[in-house]
This record gives sequence, structure tokens and C-alpha cells, in this order.
Amino acid sequence: MDNSIRIITIVGGGTAGWLTAGVIAAEHLANSEQGIEVRLVESPDVNPVGVGEGTWPTMRGTLKKMGISETDFIRECDASFKQGAKFAKWVTGADNDAYYHPLVLPQGYEEINLVPFWQQHADKVSFADAVSFQGYLCEQGLAPKQNTTPEYAHVANYAYHLDAGKFALFLQKHCTQTLGVKHILDHVTQVNAKDNGDIASVSTKNNGEITGDLFIDCTGFNALLIGQHYQVPFICKKHILFNDTALACHVPYASDDSPIASHTISTGQSAGWIWDIGLPSRRGVGHVYSSAHITEQQAEAELRDYIRSSRADIADDLVIRKIDIKPGHRALFWQNNCVAVGLSAGFLEPLEASALVLVELSAQMISEQLPASREVMDIVAKRFNEKFLYRWERIIDFLKLHYVLTKRSDSDYWIDNCKAESIPQALQSLLTLWRYEAPWHHDFTQIDEVFPSASYQYVLYGMGFETQQRPTKRRSQNTQLAELNFRKNSELTQKLLSGLPSNRVLINKIRQYGLQKI
Amino acid sequence: MPNHQQLDNVRHKDLRILAHHQPSFGENASYGHVYLSEFRYVQGEYPILFRKNAETAQFEAIALFGLAAEENLFMEENGWNACYVPLTVQRRPFLIGFQHDNQAEPKPVVHVDMDSPRISKSDTEGEAVFLPQGGQSPYFQHINSVLSRIHMGHIENKIFIDTLLQHDLIESVAIKMELHDGSKLEFNNLYTINEEKLNGLPAETLHDLHKQGYVNLIYMVIASMATLSRLIDLKNKKVIGS
Repeated sequence: MDNSIRIITIVGGGTAGWLTAGVIAAEHLANSEQGIEVRLVESPDVNPVGVGEGTWPTMRGTLKKMGISETDFIRECDASFKQGAKFAKWVTGADNDAYYHPLVLPQGYEEINLVPFWQQHADKVSFADAVSFQGYLCEQGLAPKQNTTPEYAHVANYAYHLDAGKFALFLQKHCTQTLGVKHILDHVTQVNAKDNGDIASVSTKNNGEITGDLFIDCTGFNALLIGQHYQVPFICKKHILFNDTALACHVPYASDDSPIASHTISTGQSAGWIWDIGLPSRRGVGHVYSSAHITEQQAEAELRDYIRSSRADIADDLVIRKIDIKPGHRALFWQNNCVAVGLSAGFLEPLEASALVLVELSAQMISEQLPASREVMDIVAKRFNEKFLYRWERIIDFLKLHYVLTKRSDSDYWIDNCKAESIPQALQSLLTLWRYEAPWHHDFTQIDEVFPSASYQYVLYGMGFETQQRPTKRRSQNTQLAELNFRKNSELTQKLLSGLPSNRVLINKIRQYGLQKI
Repeated sequence: MPNHQQLDNVRHKDLRILAHHQPSFGENASYGHVYLSEFRYVQGEYPILFRKNAETAQFEAIALFGLAAEENLFMEENGWNACYVPLTVQRRPFLIGFQHDNQAEPKPVVHVDMDSPRISKSDTEGEAVFLPQGGQSPYFQHINSVLSRIHMGHIENKIFIDTLLQHDLIESVAIKMELHDGSKLEFNNLYTINEEKLNGLPAETLHDLHKQGYVNLIYMVIASMATLSRLIDLKNKKVIGS
């Protein structure tokens, strides 16, 4: 019997399904006779959730590898540039309470940890502003590049905000027309197993049995293969991350030339937070909250209040969609010849846009380490499961970090979030360690960590965390080098503030003229 | 501020143009656009490169005249020190404007910048535009042909550059040099022909390019880089002399 892996069958469309299809098809030459065959079965009656309108900078590499033009992507997916997140009202809840988590690393990050040096000036300048220029760019609504900067290249590191529905269709077109993915629009009625427990095929309403050597479950919260078929347990994380409901809506701009925010704005509420994402044609705004702490009516009122501050004229008329969230993930992601990617693998909450990046990372690992034969699949599956369990744990820790550093005590939600029993042990240890030593390269040791230690720095010191100065001196604590980097950052800030166009101007230019590939 | 007027044989019947070149005209741009129809002459004198238009990010073909902003190393007290002067310089102070009347397509018409220092203040100095008895002077007939070549050149250049991009034949080039006074110059926003890609083109593609007349032009762009050494010589003379 031939055990080679030749056919990959993805069940479920949406962004997870099409991203996974695209990543694998591009690398494994699905459009050539010698390549692998990639099939995607998508039910015509299922409405995809469309996770996340925010991406990570990794999306640039992912799209480029798939052979997508950034100009086409920006034009067709209503995409704009994202340079990080601004967290408002997460620390004290006061009107002037805000900090940035930018996407550029602190200046000189490879050679020096600037935290102890910044702490001496902490009363004069925020951590993010002292070590990076990106918060300034965001405050001015500036783009991360010029129109003469080639596709996917940056002046300031950036990710995207996009319309998830348009993105899935855009990827579908590219996958089917260019990358050779076979698209089967049909409803899966049954999963057929082999003696060894592997999936042999899925039965469909109109296209009979669809076989595959590897099945990828991209069926969203349904988790048709990993959950319903394999009964892989779901590990709930609601005791750590309380948010279990989201109310989302689209907010039109007042005019065609309204500024497009260059970052995600995340504003703390009484029992959750509101995301505000600027696309070229509209804003996506939503309230994600803990239903144990407030009612849907209260949550909706807070959301409409938030919108009222910018669009009082329409705040009460906007249509709001409710999405239930079960924060958590599967105990395993790869079982037999089936691997779950996207919501079927798990979902935590929209904070820090971790959903799409997990899809990218999963697709990338499946593609890079794709077993050539069934005989070695279990080895790869084991690696995959270990790696992704580690990644989910780190993401949970990092998301929880945003809550445990709050000084808010105006509602039970924030108070409960700081209770020790809701904080994972690993995070507690790190927080203890960081009271004496600022996080740096040695804290996260895997080469492909999801969140780099720099992200922890931005959140910790953005939220006023205090790390004590070491009582003794170290040779590597080089004040001159630190001053040099602070100065460099300040010069770079001035230069970029005068040299970059606004986000709106750049998007308009890309729509009119396009970006060059070189 | 330029003062562009549509050329009119009544209003401008006595117009005379100072057609020579001198520094006081202020035409000291360090580069100028060049068009396919003049590549043959340009390439012997100036490096032909590509740059992105700051407004549109579209590639344009340019000839380098200098190695610093507002520096034209060919401009000397007694004129433009080269055998060939590019069309966009020759045309001055005339330019193409567009007349929007009832026609669907705007019609190109000749305009003149009446604030240009090239507008002669005397009735003997400079080249007449119109003849005393009416009709265009030979000088202005030449300008007309220059303007028409520029007008055609826009679209010809675009098709040429689009073709180059389609075959990945354009690459960025970093030009670095050290001058005799020890100062260093570096240009990063310039592009040239990617010779490696060019040499790897399949025969059919090369044949297609040849049929369009592009192979000659591509090699002219490549060959033009040899003139960079003259530009550096001129620059060195300037820095040593100062």
C-alpha cells in the first residue's frame, strides 16, 4: 500500500481555510503535475465568522510567499496599515490613561535592554515614546511607509487591518485561479474512518466521497473533524480570560477623507474592552466582555456610548451583531491524519489579534514539515501538538498580562482579573522575576516565539509596572550606549514625522497608482 | 511662479526666446526626464537611470546631470557643456498644456512660461518664434517637434517601462563614490537594468523585446552607465577647485 501524502483535503472555507490552502498550495506546487493536490470543501450554507480584522506583521510574509501583490490585496480587501495597538483606560480608567504597544522593537534591542535606563526618566516620557518612534506616528495618523516604498517593505514595521469577508473571497480567487487549489462547494454529511482511525474521506451531498491523505479542519467553532468526529476535548480558559461575548458593528466615516487610524484602539470598559479598527471604507467597532459581569443590555449601552463620542448622529441606529466566544483550545490539534486550524483549534479573544497569526503559524508548520508519508505523520503530529500547546499557553499568559497589571478597582471585572487564582502559574513566576529584572531575550527562548520579549516590555512598562534597580553594577549596563539609543530614537522620530504621508493619503495613492514590487 | 500662457500668434507675435544655456537661467536640476526617441544621443553623454515619481511612485527614465541636489555639472558660464541636450531642456520655456473644449479628449496645445528668464526683453536678442510676415520660425518649428516627441514620449516610455517591470528587468542600484576631497556620496533611490535577469531571458522573450525595438534601448541604458565616470570627474574638479 502506498502511504505517501499526495492529497490534502481542507474542510471549511473562511480565512483559516483559504489561508491554509494558499500557504500549502504555494509551497507544494499544487498547480503542477508534480506537486501535491489541495482540495477545499466548503459548505455553501455555512456563514463564516470571519475572525479578526487585525493581523500581525507576519501576514506580509505570508501573502508575499503566496505570490499575492500587496497592491491588489489593499485594494480588494479594504485593507489599511496597522502599526500596533493603543490601550486606553486599561490602567486607571481615567481619560488620559493610554499606552502604546507598537510593532517596532525598542531601539537597539539586539544589544541593549533600555528599561533600567528609561526608568530614571519615567516621569518625563512614556516607555514606548522613549524607545520607539511608532507611537508618535500613530498619534499623527501617519502611514508606516511611502508610496515609493516597494510592496511589503516598510519604513516602520506594520501589519494590516482588513475586511475578513473580502479577504476570504480574495484568497479564494488567488488559491483557485493561480495556486491550483480545487474548490468543492458542498455540504459535508459524514466523516468516514479507516480501521486505524484515520479519516478516509468525507461524504458530501452532491460530490460523493472526497478522499484525502491529510485532512485539515477549518470548520470554525463547529470543529467537525477534530471535535465532532475525534472528540478531542476542549480546554476551557474562561477562568483566566473572562470575556465570552462580543457585540460587533460597522461604523461609517463622517466623510470620504476622514483620517484612518494607523493602529488598533482598544478601550477598557466596565467588564471588557472595545476594539476600534480603521479600514479605508469604515471602522469596525466591537465590545468584547464577560457576561458574568454585565448584561448584554449594559454591554450594548457601553458600546453605543463609545460610538457616540465620534458619531453621535448614528450611534443609536447601528446594527449590532452578537458573537458568542468560548475562550479555550483543543487538548490536541493534530489527531491521526487530521489537523485543526483556526477556530476549530481554539479561540481566546480578539486582544492582540492572535487568531489570524495562529492560522498563519499553523499553516506554515504544516506546510514546512508536511510528512511525506503516513509512516512519519505521527512524529510530525507530536511536534505540532507540543509546539502549539506551548504557543497557546504563551498567548494566554500574554493576554492575561494586560489584565493583571490594571490598577482599576471600579468594577468586579478588573478586581477579579487580578485575583491570583485566575493567573497562570507561569505568568505569576515571570511577574515575580520581572520585579527584579526587566524581561529581555532570555525570557522567551524558542526561536519562533509568538510574542517577543519586547511585547512584554511595552505592556509591562506601558501599564506602570515597576522593576527594581539591581543593587550592584554590571559591565553591560552601558549608560553611554543607552543615551545613544535614546538620541537615535528621537532623531528617527523627527525624521519620520516629517517624511511619512498620512494613512489615508497613502491608501488613496495605492488605490490610484499602486505600489511597485521593487 | 511660472506664468503659463497658451501660445497665440497675435498676442505673442513679437516673442523672442533666449535659446542658449547659462547658469543664471536657474535651470540647475540635477536630473531631467529622457524619452526613448533620444536614448541614442543621451546615452553617450549622461547616465540613464530610473527613479520613482514622488507623487505616483511610477518609474520614470532620467538622465543624471549632477551628483547633488540642484547641481548641474554640465552647466558652465559659456553654456551647456555636452554635445546633446535632452528634449525637456531644449523645450524651455515652452511646454505642452491641454485645452479642454467640447471634445472628449483634451487637446495638447503649446504653452509658454512668460516668467521664464528665457523670455527676451529686447527685440533683437534671441530667437523669434513667429516670422514678421506670419508663420512659424524654423526655431519654433524645431520646438514644435521637440514638444511632440515629448508628448509621444510619455506613452512610449510607459509601455517600455511596463515591459521591463513585467520581465523583472529593473533593479535598484546603490551608487557610492568617494571624491578627491575624501567626502562620500551615496544614492539609493535609483534603478537600472537587471543584467542578470536580462541574460537569463528565454529566447522567445528576447525576440519579442527585439521586435519592439527594446533590446537596443536596454543596452543603451546599460552602456550609459559608463558616462558616470565623466560626471564624477566633473564633480571632482568642482570639489578640488572650490
